[in-house]
Amino acid sequence: MTAFDQLVNGFAIALSWKGLLYCFIGCLWGTIVGVLPGLGPLAGMTLLLPLTYYDFFTGLPLDPTFGIIMLTGIFYGAMYGGSTTSILVRIPGEAASVVTCIDGYEMARRGRAGPALMVSAVGSFVGGTFSIVGLMLITPPLAKVMIAIGPSVQVVLLLLALSVIAVVSAGSRLKTTIMVVLGLLLTAIGLDHLEGVARLTFGSTTLTGGLSFTALAIGLFGISEILLNLEQTETIKAITPKFRDLIPRMKDVRDSAPAIGRASIIGFIFGVIPGVSHVVSTFVSYAVEKRFSRHPEEFGHGAIAGVAGPETANNAVTGTAMIPLLALGIPSIPATALLLSALTIHGVQPGPLLLTDHPEVFWSLVASMYIGNVILLILNLPLVSMFVWLLRIPYAWLVPIILIISVIGVYSVAFSAFDIWVMVISGGAGYVLRKFGYEMAPLLLAFVLGDRLEENLRLALTMSGGSYATFVDQASIIVLTSTLGLLLGVQALAWVFGYRKSVADEAEGA
Amino acid sequence: MSGDADNPAPVGCDPGQVLFRAISARRGEIWIAAVLAAAGLVFASQASLLEFGDFSLPGPGFIPLALGLATFALGSIIGVREWLRADSGETVELGHRDVLIVFAAMLAVPLLFEPLGAYVTLGLFGAVLLVLVARSSLVIAGFAAVVGMAACWYFFQVALGLQLPVGDVLERIVQ
Repeated sequence: MTAFDQLVNGFAIALSWKGLLYCFIGCLWGTIVGVLPGLGPLAGMTLLLPLTYYDFFTGLPLDPTFGIIMLTGIFYGAMYGGSTTSILVRIPGEAASVVTCIDGYEMARRGRAGPALMVSAVGSFVGGTFSIVGLMLITPPLAKVMIAIGPSVQVVLLLLALSVIAVVSAGSRLKTTIMVVLGLLLTAIGLDHLEGVARLTFGSTTLTGGLSFTALAIGLFGISEILLNLEQTETIKAITPKFRDLIPRMKDVRDSAPAIGRASIIGFIFGVIPGVSHVVSTFVSYAVEKRFSRHPEEFGHGAIAGVAGPETANNAVTGTAMIPLLALGIPSIPATALLLSALTIHGVQPGPLLLTDHPEVFWSLVASMYIGNVILLILNLPLVSMFVWLLRIPYAWLVPIILIISVIGVYSVAFSAFDIWVMVISGGAGYVLRKFGYEMAPLLLAFVLGDRLEENLRLALTMSGGSYATFVDQASIIVLTSTLGLLLGVQALAWVFGYRKSVADEAEGA
Repeated sequence: MSGDADNPAPVGCDPGQVLFRAISARRGEIWIAAVLAAAGLVFASQASLLEFGDFSLPGPGFIPLALGLATFALGSIIGVREWLRADSGETVELGHRDVLIVFAAMLAVPLLFEPLGAYVTLGLFGAVLLVLVARSSLVIAGFAAVVGMAACWYFFQVALGLQLPVGDVLERIVQ
């Protein structure tokens, strides 16, 4: 079967009524969590994770393909939704929409919210679609290469991913490093996979199964976020544009079209950076647009390219972020770590063998992403008033609903009340740690990768008779240096454009 | 981190709802670093009970021991660095009333979830939060809790076939 045939098969699954329904639910929920401040894609995905276990209609276990279609829909739907609050309320729905606040809200204040929303939606669509094409073209050949690699190269790759997370993280590197180490330590709790010995269980039989990823993810991201948001009681005053005001002027199209093109490429390239790719890409895109603009003085005062660029870039990241997950089995951001966990729960192992063992999952996911982008374009513009209305629901009323779904979601994974304890305690710990500038994403990514890192390390050493030289053989060096070179190049670009300083200055000035 | 010792309530917070306790950021950092270092030490001591193997062929205790010691070392470095840093007067606000209520209510959930049953526990949990955090009346909170739990039962139990615990008390009554 050729790749084209498989893509056609993928479309057949994604366009089935069930495929469309799950894709629609994912996109709608994703937009809602993107719009609501404090509920990002990760919290949105974890909350709907239980829905991927059983079929709505039959009550039987759900085909993993539909579950993954829905979860991925939430991931990119949240990127779309985040722009709405940034433009209309000046509150970023999630981290990747922070930059959009600068010019998006300025445009809204000057009565131009409609064109800002339209350009943001179209840019998101173009960026998202561009990255799906990249995902479709790069993943299969990359997976083929990865099948041939042994455990030693896997160790090098996993170490590289963890090192990059620690290096590119926005906060203190020391704090990020301790979070990575803590994540690796927490993953060691439970049975040792190679020798079957119980480790770090303190004599408890409950801990032999290890800590639940879902409980930890919901606790560290969902619960801690809710606790942090409870401290904010600002009244939200949104600007609501009318549908007829959405049409941009000819000048808007001329200014935003090149920005959308450039940002699609920027987002796609920056998607490879583990940890913070979707946020970094928006800052870089903003800085690039300001450099290319004939009127850089307009930036910060309602420049449409300042909305088109970042919004396109953060959506272009979504496809690229899926490449390491699907081709290597290595999640680069927490949202894809959750997808990895969801796939594993359903018995599908992401990585080089995904395309040979479960090609229908990969190709229907690709097809659903094309469809999802169209759904989001249709959904976001006419329903913008509805999403603005959502912002008027008091947060205190949403909290019990979100927490109850979280508790049921966590319990339903293994039917264990212990997992609820893990969620509550990690939520409390996450709240305090975040207050003091510790990031949760490195901990969660290390927790996901830790098992594989240790297994491959010990396996590689056993195979090589205990020689550490196995980690610097020819294949490893090629992979390591080329990947490292690529990542460093991307980082260097980011620094050349001075995204941190210039945008921080902009944000202060705006 | 925000605010300072003279101005503990952050911008955007309703002063009537705030029970912030501003603690020194430096002192908080030291405490957190100490807790992380202690956790690393506890894990390292547990890992030391396992077979270590050797550097060329690590056993099941090798990696946890190394990671435990690394956590201890990093925690100590952060703690010592903060200890040596001059106090800038920066503070961190902890102890918001709603945060404390939600967290306390959440701690009760795993305790009661199996003995009382999922629906009773979560119904009570929701009602408590609606009264204390959303400041709704008891009648509205009770009504919302009953309707919410009925919706949960239909969606999770009937539609998805998810068997949530009904509780020992209810089970005894049914029997």
